Amino acid sequence: MSDPNRINAENLHAGYDTQAIVKSISCSFGPGTFTGIIGPNGSGKTTLLRAFSRAIPSSGILELDGKDVRDYTPAELGMALGFVPQDEPRPFAYTVMQVVLMARYARTSRFAALLPADYDRCHRALAETGITDLAARSIRTLSGGEWQRVLIARALAQDTSVLLLDEPTSHLDLAHQSDILMLMRNLAASGATIIGVFHDLNLAALYCDRLIMIKNGQMVADGTPAQVLTPEKIRNVYGADVVTSCHPATGRTFLMPVKTTNGNGSHLKSLNVLVVSGGGSGAGLLHFLAGRGLSLSAGILATTDTDYLTAQALEIPCIPVLPFSQIPAHELEKQKAMLAGADRVILSAHPVGAGNLPVLLALHDVDPARIIIHLPEGREFTSYDFTKGTAATAYQDLCAAGAACTSTYDGILRLLLPNLNGDENHETRNTN
Amino acid sequence: MTRTIPVLTCLTIVAILTIILCTFIGPAGFGFISTAPGAADIVGSIRLPRVLAAFFVGASLAVAGAAMQALFRNPMADPYILGISSGGALGASVAIVFLGGLFVPVFAWAGAVIAILIVWLIASRRGVISVETLLLTGIAVSFFFSAIVSFLIAIAGENVHQIIFWLMGGFWNASASDAILSACILVPAGLLLFFMGRDLNALSLGEETAAHLGIDAARARWSVLGGSTLLVAGAVSIAGSIGFVGLVTPHIVRMLLGQDNRVVIPACIFAGGILLVISDTLTRTFFSDLPVGIITAFIGAPFFIWLIYQRGNVT
Repeated sequence: MSDPNRINAENLHAGYDTQAIVKSISCSFGPGTFTGIIGPNGSGKTTLLRAFSRAIPSSGILELDGKDVRDYTPAELGMALGFVPQDEPRPFAYTVMQVVLMARYARTSRFAALLPADYDRCHRALAETGITDLAARSIRTLSGGEWQRVLIARALAQDTSVLLLDEPTSHLDLAHQSDILMLMRNLAASGATIIGVFHDLNLAALYCDRLIMIKNGQMVADGTPAQVLTPEKIRNVYGADVVTSCHPATGRTFLMPVKTTNGNGSHLKSLNVLVVSGGGSGAGLLHFLAGRGLSLSAGILATTDTDYLTAQALEIPCIPVLPFSQIPAHELEKQKAMLAGADRVILSAHPVGAGNLPVLLALHDVDPARIIIHLPEGREFTSYDFTKGTAATAYQDLCAAGAACTSTYDGILRLLLPNLNGDENHETRNTN
Repeated sequence: MTRTIPVLTCLTIVAILTIILCTFIGPAGFGFISTAPGAADIVGSIRLPRVLAAFFVGASLAVAGAAMQALFRNPMADPYILGISSGGALGASVAIVFLGGLFVPVFAWAGAVIAILIVWLIASRRGVISVETLLLTGIAVSFFFSAIVSFLIAIAGENVHQIIFWLMGGFWNASASDAILSACILVPAGLLLFFMGRDLNALSLGEETAAHLGIDAARARWSVLGGSTLLVAGAVSIAGSIGFVGLVTPHIVRMLLGQDNRVVIPACIFAGGILLVISDTLTRTFFSDLPVGIITAFIGAPFFIWLIYQRGNVT
C-alpha cells in the first residue's frame, strides 16, 4: 500500500449508454479527508460518485487502495466502500434493523448466520445516526428524513474506510443535518475517506475540507471552500450571482445569492439615485433597489462596512475609504460631486460619529426636495447619534428643511416615482 | 427472529400431518385403517403420488413467487409474470390439438422454458438489462403466447375442454414419477433460492443497492431467474397453470414471519405445499375433482383482495 491515496482517478470517463456524463476527471482522495462535490443540476456529480462505487461502468484509471476498482469482487467492494443513495424504493415492509443488517452480508458467508458482533455493530450504527428507537419499525412507515438516516446507518455498519454520500442530508432538518455532517467529520478525523455530493454550498463549505466543483462533467475547481466558492466561479458554473464572506460564527466561507436583474422597471432606469449609508444600514436597501434597475451609486463607505461588501457584490459604484480614520478631503469632494449629479439622494439613517459626520453635513448643500430619508420603524435619529447631538440635529434639520421621510422600502420606491400606480407597484414586487 | 425456528418447525410438522391426513381422505372413503379390497392400491398408488405431487408443485410455485416478488421489487409479481405459464399453455395446447394429447407435460415444459429464453434474449439484447425491461418484455411475450393459445382453443373443436382444464390446472393424472420429478427439481432449486435469501433481501431494495452491499447482483439475478424457471416450468408441466398459490402464499408467510427472505423462502416451501395439498383434497373429495386452480383462485382471490384492503390501511 505504497499509494497514500484511498481513491485515485485519472482521466475518468463515465456515463449512460453511449453518452459520457463524466469527462476526463482526475482527482485523488487521501485518508482522513472529507471532500464535497458540487456543481449545478445535471453536471455529473452523482454520476461521478456512482462511477467511484462501480455502480456504472467507467473508463480510465480508477484505483481503490492502489488496486483497480474493477478487479474487486463484489464482496471485497462491499467491505471497502459504502454508498448512501439519495433515496431508495421501499416495496417491502422490512424493519429498520433488517435493512441495516444487510450491511453485514459482505462480511458473512451465505451459508452462515449473522453473528452477535454483527448485531452489535448495527445497533451502534443506529445509535450513531440517532434512530435506535426506530429499530423495529417498518421502513414503509418512516418519514423521508428517518429513511435517509437508516440508509446512512446501513453504510456506517458496512465498516468501510471509504464512504460515498449522495446528498446525504437532502431530507434532513437543520439539527439532523449538522448531526450527520459532524458524524462524517469525526469519521474523517479518525482516518476515513468521505466524499459527498452537495447541493447546499454553505453546508458543503461548513463541513468539507475540500471542494471539487464540476460543470458539464468536467472538473473546474478543486481546493478549499474559500478557494472554490468565489463569486466569479459560482457565476461561471451556476450562472448565479452571489456574495461571499467569512461567516462570523464559524469562520468558514459563506455565500448568499443576490439578484441583479436589470431588465425590469426600465421606466426607473433614467433615475440617478445615490444612497448614503453606513454601518450596514444600507445593505438591504441597496439590494432592494438593485433589483429595480435604477442607476444606483453609493457614497463614501469604509472597506470593512457591510454596505461596502454589498455594493461590491452588486457592482454599485461607491467611494471606498480606510476604516477608523479621518475621511480624506479629496474623497469628500468626490462625494459632493456625486451628490450634485444625483437625481435623488437616499439617506439611510446610520450611526454617525466624529469620523463620518462630514459626510452627513455635506447633505445640507443638496436641495432637500431631492432627499429621501429612510428611518426604520420605531427608531429615533438620536439612536444613531454618536456625536453628542450634532448628528441628530443634522438629521432633524434635513427633515425640517423638507426632505421626505419614510420607514419602508416600498415608501422609498413610491417617493422615487410618485405616479407609480398599483399595477406597476405589484409588478415590481413580483420581480423581487 | 426469535419466532423463526418455532414457526418453521410448526410448519414442517403441519406439512407432514397434512400429507398423511390428506392421503387418507377422498371420495372412496377409507379411514386410516381399512380392510376394503383395493384400499391399499388406491391409497398407495393413486392418492399418495397425487398428494405428494400437489405438495411439491405448491411448494415450487410459492417459493418461486417469493423470489420473483423480491427480484422485481413488486409484491404483486407472481411466478408466471415472465410468461412461463403462457409458454407452458402454448406447449400443452399444441400437444393437445396436434398430437391428440400425447407428450403434454414435455411440450408444456418446453414451452415454458422457451418463453423465458425469448424474454431473456429480447430484454438483454442491448447488454445491460433492467428488471423493468425484463418485466415488460415478459408481459408482452405472455400476451402474445396467450393470443396463440386462444386461437388454438378456437380451432380445437372437441379438445377444447382438455385445454381449458389444463389452463386451470389440476392433478388428475399425477403419477409417482411426477411426484419424484417435482421433488428432484424442488430440492436443488429450493436449496439454491434458500441460500440466495440474503441476495433477495438486498435485490428487493434495488440492484445498485445490492451491489453496494457486496452482492454480485448480476449473478444473483441469473441464479434466481434460473432456479425459479426450473421450479415453475416443472410445476406447470405436471399440473398446468395453477393460479394464486405463487402470488398469495409469500404474502401469508410475510404476515406471519416478517419480510426477511432468508425466512420467507423456506417457509414458503411448506406453506405453499400445505395450501395446494388441502385445495386439491377439497376438490377431489367435495367438488367432483374440478380443476384445483378453480379452488385456489376461489379462496385466493378474496384473500388477496382482503390483503390489499389491509395494506391500504396499514402502510
